[in-house]
Amino acid sequence: MAFRDGAKTKKYRNLFKETIVKATRTLNRKWCLSVFTDNAGIVEFGKGGKWGLAFKAETHNHPCAVEPYGGAETGVGGVIRDILGVGLGAKPVLNTDTFCFGRLDGKKRLPKNALSPERVMRGVVEGVRDYGNRIGIPTAAGGIYFDDGYLLNPLVYVGCAGLIPVDKIDKKVIPGDLIVSIGGRTGRDGIHGATFSSANIDEETSASAVQIGHAVNEKKALDVLMRARDLGLYNAVTDCGAGGFSSAIGELGSETGARVRLEKALLKDTRIEPWEIWVSESQERMILSVPKGKLKKLAAILDAENCEYCVLGEFPGDGRLLVTHGEERVVDLPMAFLHGGVPNFEKAASRRRVKISAPAPARPTAGYGRALKSLLAHPNVCSRHSVITQYDHEVQGGTVGKPLQGRYGDGPGDAAVIWPQAATLDLHDFSGFAVSHGFNPAIGRIDPYQMALQSIDEAVRNLLAAGADVSRTAILDNFCAASPRDPEVMGDLVLAAEGCHDAAMAYGAPFISGKDSFYNQSKDADGREYPIPLSLLISATAPVEDVRRALTINFKEAGNPVYLAGATAPGMGGSVYNELRDTGNNAVAPLDMKAAVKLYAGLARAIKAGCVAAAHDVSQGGLAVTLSEMAFSGGFGADIDLAPARRGLTGTELLFGESPARLVLEVAKGREAEFLRLVKGLPVAEIGYVKEEPLLCVSAGPERFFTEDIFALKDCWKRELI
Amino acid sequence: MKPKVIILRGTATNCDIETFNSFRYVGAEPELVHINQLLAGGKKALDYDIMAFPGGFSYGDDISAGKIYAVKMAKLSRDFEKFIKGGRPVIGICNGFQILVKTGFLPENRANKQVSTLYTNDCGHFIAKWARLRVNKASPCIFTKGLPDEIDLPIAHGEGKFIVEDKGELAAITGRNLHALTYAENPNGSMLGIAGITNPAGTCFGLMPHPERNFFAWQNPDRPAAAREAEAAGYQFFKNAVDYVG
Repeated sequence: MAFRDGAKTKKYRNLFKETIVKATRTLNRKWCLSVFTDNAGIVEFGKGGKWGLAFKAETHNHPCAVEPYGGAETGVGGVIRDILGVGLGAKPVLNTDTFCFGRLDGKKRLPKNALSPERVMRGVVEGVRDYGNRIGIPTAAGGIYFDDGYLLNPLVYVGCAGLIPVDKIDKKVIPGDLIVSIGGRTGRDGIHGATFSSANIDEETSASAVQIGHAVNEKKALDVLMRARDLGLYNAVTDCGAGGFSSAIGELGSETGARVRLEKALLKDTRIEPWEIWVSESQERMILSVPKGKLKKLAAILDAENCEYCVLGEFPGDGRLLVTHGEERVVDLPMAFLHGGVPNFEKAASRRRVKISAPAPARPTAGYGRALKSLLAHPNVCSRHSVITQYDHEVQGGTVGKPLQGRYGDGPGDAAVIWPQAATLDLHDFSGFAVSHGFNPAIGRIDPYQMALQSIDEAVRNLLAAGADVSRTAILDNFCAASPRDPEVMGDLVLAAEGCHDAAMAYGAPFISGKDSFYNQSKDADGREYPIPLSLLISATAPVEDVRRALTINFKEAGNPVYLAGATAPGMGGSVYNELRDTGNNAVAPLDMKAAVKLYAGLARAIKAGCVAAAHDVSQGGLAVTLSEMAFSGGFGADIDLAPARRGLTGTELLFGESPARLVLEVAKGREAEFLRLVKGLPVAEIGYVKEEPLLCVSAGPERFFTEDIFALKDCWKRELI
Repeated sequence: MKPKVIILRGTATNCDIETFNSFRYVGAEPELVHINQLLAGGKKALDYDIMAFPGGFSYGDDISAGKIYAVKMAKLSRDFEKFIKGGRPVIGICNGFQILVKTGFLPENRANKQVSTLYTNDCGHFIAKWARLRVNKASPCIFTKGLPDEIDLPIAHGEGKFIVEDKGELAAITGRNLHALTYAENPNGSMLGIAGITNPAGTCFGLMPHPERNFFAWQNPDRPAAAREAEAAGYQFFKNAVDYVG
């Protein structure tokens, strides 16, 4: 691919390999156990080198646009199977989900047959709820983002994390092993699901390309796999995802070849054609490579768990793929052809020019307090409780850092902190991990490179705020873009991928897995192409050494000093405030990664020493929103003087600007001297105190911005989204 | 001798492992047993000292929550009845409570007839959140002994609305203080805000909230930074069962 940037041109043979994968290779972190090869990335977990943490995220956008409930269910089911199918199988301990929908109050006319964003949202939330709850995996991290760019192409990112013993990471098919399919049956649902996911959605689109989910079947497969894995009853496993049997068996048999008898498959539907059995994407199926001598033992477990299975054939060792149905020969090809014969397409990319202007943003006409209230009620800032409480986010008993936290159990947590007791079975080992996200397409519209940097920064900062060891952050990238035939779409992608590389290097945070989704565009009511903005979801994880010390966001005690960490910079580009009242200032405050890394290292020392009582990142809505959330989640007020952070900024920039790399910290009384010693030389300034009286008073020197009742602020924020 | 706990599971019993961990932590010797193992005769319920029905979505909660599991248990009802009538502790948590109600073991009656149900929440869907509960100090329930007047536990259910067929049944429950736990703020429309009930002996207990999810202080959403205190309210439920048989 050639990327044209003014007079310069840069060539890429493989964009992701030369940016994202390259960073991982260069960093070469020894705690990365498996990257970019298996169904999920794996990093070391806990003490003693016994466990690995597998993490994967993917998208299920097209199915959710057509059939939101079924699409979301099978999206969740699919990513869980990736975790079940990594190595010899990991035990899922956390589900994540991030959605992008059109604005519920949007004005744009919908084309015929398109579903309203409200209907898509309800279906998707119910699908995630019904699948995740039934299978018993906590859905405890994620987000919802509203923007009219997603009106016709909603995005549904689903993720899953699981624990795997390190001696179960390697898998190898041995010639002579049987091909055993366990779990669901094969039917005509989800035929062409894989190709459908790269097509435009219009009135021709058929819902039969969407698979049908059945969480209970997947739970049976999960229960069987965990037992059979520990008894060593199979040599390899993978999931049936896109392409069904064809890709799962093709993948496992890439070296040995495979002999498949399709008439042996258990079917949902007898009218199915042999080729349909081969490519059907029916759900909840896992393929195992089982030594002949172990089939009986495996079958006993399958029967005990009421899990159906069939023996489809064997891995012969001759490198050929031979698929038959009775007498009929369906496929007869060398594996090498299937795996090496992919044609390469040449794509063009060019930089999109955006005009930047940076006038000083005006004071909100109705006052700062009113502006803050509108921000808190904005769909991209307000409470997600009505969605979160529909998910069983605490099953398995390990959700220590909760999506809803604080005195009233409703404050917005920065990251999920998971104590995987249901996998380790050890209540005396307090090792855990945190998972967070970074996502900001609004910045991407202006500067895709900064979007990538700042999304990674936001994810890292969220981990830090939860008390995780961010020096060991691992990240996932999930790109969603419009048509790759549009050079500007590809230009945005190049810049974001370069940003991913640079941020991964600066933060020492390798990518361990990633996936992309293209063709997220459709024709609008007037017949014009309507693309999504380039969307990059960063999912990040880092270890939490002792989950008992994980941090929460809510103010804890009156009299504790409040600190702002990180310098506030000018620029309102990409801010929620600009959506409410366009300031005409679209400059994105650039991220100083070197300064951020230094700052976080200092804060990590202070957190580890126990000086910090609460921490919360500054992101959408800016500093005033962060302070409000900390106050009303704890039921405390605060007196805040932002004079030390002002540095010539207007009140609007100071309160509502979203410059990156900032956190607000509550420091424990009596620990200030120690705290200041640990953050010496870093941009950390005391800005006030927590107080009993439930009023948030914010000023900068002589200028008083607002005094608001924290419960009134909370009333604005705590909207029922669904 | 450590008391032996049978933790009964089936398809989509999801909270079996954390329940197992909780019993082990309080000094019991728990074992996960699939209902199929009891049905096949490989395991015997009466070989154990304590019985637990964990939370989850047994058999997908198809028909109604806990119903299919209850039907599977019917073939073994004599053993279960013996276990319960013999005064060995039985706890059903969430889906486990639903199972005990659908089998007719709770509220206890002579014919093991289902006299109440746990119906779809008033809000119409699944809810997962923390609830404040009042502990009925006059209840004979052995699991709630020694708890403070009010405790916090998370709930996570779609069908948690406790209702009985006739008023007399409700009076029979309240008259003998079988309602060991009630919600401070009714989250699902349960009659009298009932969250958990026991048999008159106090040994068979079902509740919708999850004690295994507030077993330690650091599982609480209002966790002070660097929480160091260990056991929380949920711990007491498991400890009480082990102390009772020990």
